[in-house]
Amino acid sequence: MFTRLIVYFAYFLKTSKRYQRAKLFFYDLLENPNSRLKSYFDVFMICLVMLSVFLLIYEVDHKLDAGAVLFEHCVISLFIAEYLLRGWLYSDNHKIILEHYEKADYLKLSFRPGKVAMIILAKKIEYVFTPLALIDLLAILPTYRLLRVMRILLLFRLFKLFRYFNSIKLFANILASKRFELITLGIFLGFLVFVGSTAIYLFENPANGGQVKNLFDSFYWAIVTVATVGYGDISPQTTGGRIVAMVLILAGLGVLSFLVSIIVTAFNEEIEALRENSIYTELNRFDHFIIICGFGRVGQHIARQLEKDKQNFVVIDPRESYILKAKRLGFLFIHADASKNDVMHNAGINNGATTVICATGDDVINVYITLTSRHLNPEIRIISRANNQDNVKKLYQAGASNVIQPFEIAGMAVAEYIGQPVAFEAILGIIREESHIIMETLCVHPGSLIEGMNIAEVGFEQRKLMLMGIVSANPVHQKHKNSYPIKNQHFYFNPEPHFVLRDGDLLVVIGREYAIDYFRDQIEKSRLKNGRKQ
Amino acid sequence: MKRIAVFGYSVMSLEAMNRLNPEQYSIIFIAKDDAEASLVAEKGFDTKVIDFRNDDALRSVGIGTDVDTLFCFYPRDFDNVFLTISARAIDKNLTIVAIVDDPESAEKLLAAGANKIIDPYEICGRKTHEMLTKPDITNILDNTVFGRHDLNMAQIEIPKGSCLENTRTSDLKLNEKHNLILIGVVDRELGDQLHFAIGEKEHCLNAGDVLVVMGPAREIKAFKKEVEQC
Repeated sequence: MFTRLIVYFAYFLKTSKRYQRAKLFFYDLLENPNSRLKSYFDVFMICLVMLSVFLLIYEVDHKLDAGAVLFEHCVISLFIAEYLLRGWLYSDNHKIILEHYEKADYLKLSFRPGKVAMIILAKKIEYVFTPLALIDLLAILPTYRLLRVMRILLLFRLFKLFRYFNSIKLFANILASKRFELITLGIFLGFLVFVGSTAIYLFENPANGGQVKNLFDSFYWAIVTVATVGYGDISPQTTGGRIVAMVLILAGLGVLSFLVSIIVTAFNEEIEALRENSIYTELNRFDHFIIICGFGRVGQHIARQLEKDKQNFVVIDPRESYILKAKRLGFLFIHADASKNDVMHNAGINNGATTVICATGDDVINVYITLTSRHLNPEIRIISRANNQDNVKKLYQAGASNVIQPFEIAGMAVAEYIGQPVAFEAILGIIREESHIIMETLCVHPGSLIEGMNIAEVGFEQRKLMLMGIVSANPVHQKHKNSYPIKNQHFYFNPEPHFVLRDGDLLVVIGREYAIDYFRDQIEKSRLKNGRKQ
Repeated sequence: MKRIAVFGYSVMSLEAMNRLNPEQYSIIFIAKDDAEASLVAEKGFDTKVIDFRNDDALRSVGIGTDVDTLFCFYPRDFDNVFLTISARAIDKNLTIVAIVDDPESAEKLLAAGANKIIDPYEICGRKTHEMLTKPDITNILDNTVFGRHDLNMAQIEIPKGSCLENTRTSDLKLNEKHNLILIGVVDRELGDQLHFAIGEKEHCLNAGDVLVVMGPAREIKAFKKEVEQC
């Protein structure tokens, strides 16, 4: 009966939306490195830790008032709550229970709750002994005023900051990556100190007229000398002692410079990866962004336009000089080859990217990037540049949604400029939204007021709009004249007044922005209203 | 008929030449050697081989006499600058359209006397951007107006004595009578800018005003004829 109750409860937790939501919320708050909530929480905790430490220091020679004591209690309650919540997040008990229950059920064995409880307990103990959890626990302890000795644990409250400062974590990681060099250096340093302290004790013991009374003194002197600090409280008096000092100082200089160089190289090696990581983190925060592959002339133009639009984008280019340019302009960039799967994957092709633009000057690379991107994400929009007319088909085959031909477009622009300058500038002005007159598409939603209406009834003229045509895939319209095929649809230019609008048709209109917005609002509202009625 | 001289062989120059209506423009391609000349001649264009550094050679192809427009489509900016300077010195009224490789050269070309600078990379960048922000519109325009379909945009100037003089724009009813859409009007009384025909203002047409219309090529042609003849 008890077992069934536990299993039932575990299933309940597994299916409970509220429980999952709560857990996700606390995960975002405490653990998820990409969540914005966590960064706010971290800042809040840093302030709290600093304040509480300040209070504890103040308490050393002052008496605290009631307010401060209350504050301290609040802080501690928060620390305890945080500690327990982290423990809760560390493992999913219901999952462990269900896993064992299902296994036992499948193998027709009896389910033993005791064993599962042990596993759960082991997991939680594992959490308690993780270094950061230990620090958390020790940071809570200084509250017990009875144990004055516990005050030293105050330091742990400062260590708690480790949790909230990303840069401290990074520094620790970088040092950890140079573990081998640091251990070697440590061994060498230990050896140096050992030899130095032994030698100085031999030369400088009081029997020889020196100041080194015991081995601890000699050890202290060796450390002070190796570190090139040299307080001078113990100084060698004998020639032998002075020679040892000279050797130790020179060796100390070597050790110090070696240490500095290890840390500097570690930073240099990691800095690229760190920067890239920070870019990936930033990209992760965006819901929609565009990947521009190739930061040549075309790529740069696109990036500038997108920057004007305040759209998020990232530039990928393997060439150093272009990446430097992107950096100077303050764009997000990845210094890598976009044809590699992991580069595109890390850039977020499946995680927020809406469009990939292949803008390199080499069609072969563009085809390859297009293929890679299409393979990684079958849904994504890919706009690719074709420098040679022959490659347009190949790019479409590789999966491009649109292909742009720079020289063809420019050629066309020249011809239009010469032939119809006014008309050409007009249409460009409309597309680029340079004037307040824009061209937009409006969708005929099912249930909206214009569905089933004919063109004459809509009254475009009164709405101060110009209807250029209608895009539709609906076969009903095919009897109308002036139809031009566009991919799988037809564009009906200058539709007749009796043209009846159907669900899914796209109206192509020209007009002032607010006139178009107003009409769109009307369509949307009528759709919602009619939808409610139904 | 306008005469255009095209200098420099590239995808772009071929595209521009193909787009221009042979009935309105007579095009001559200036090649640097015979191989280039025969390549372009195969596509049905007049060609001539000259050295563009020589002013007499430039005069021999008609610059300063019958050439109205010059396309400088050499891949290197300094060639284009040199050609622009030479041609401008020969003919002050020539329309010079030049392409630019390095954006910094644009100013030099303008200083040399070019009327219009085309930066293919910029145009391509803009185009990609348009495709990103307005995919539907770009798609429609690419497939119709800018594409190979016979839907075109055209500007029609009202000649003196035309029956359209003193007509109101709202009375034109181009969409009913001619299957054309009136995009806008350049009303010379109000300056040179285009006023879109979105029912905001009534314009009374006079000689010299320009109608910008969109529609099938044959309808545009028929309407043009009507405007000129009536």
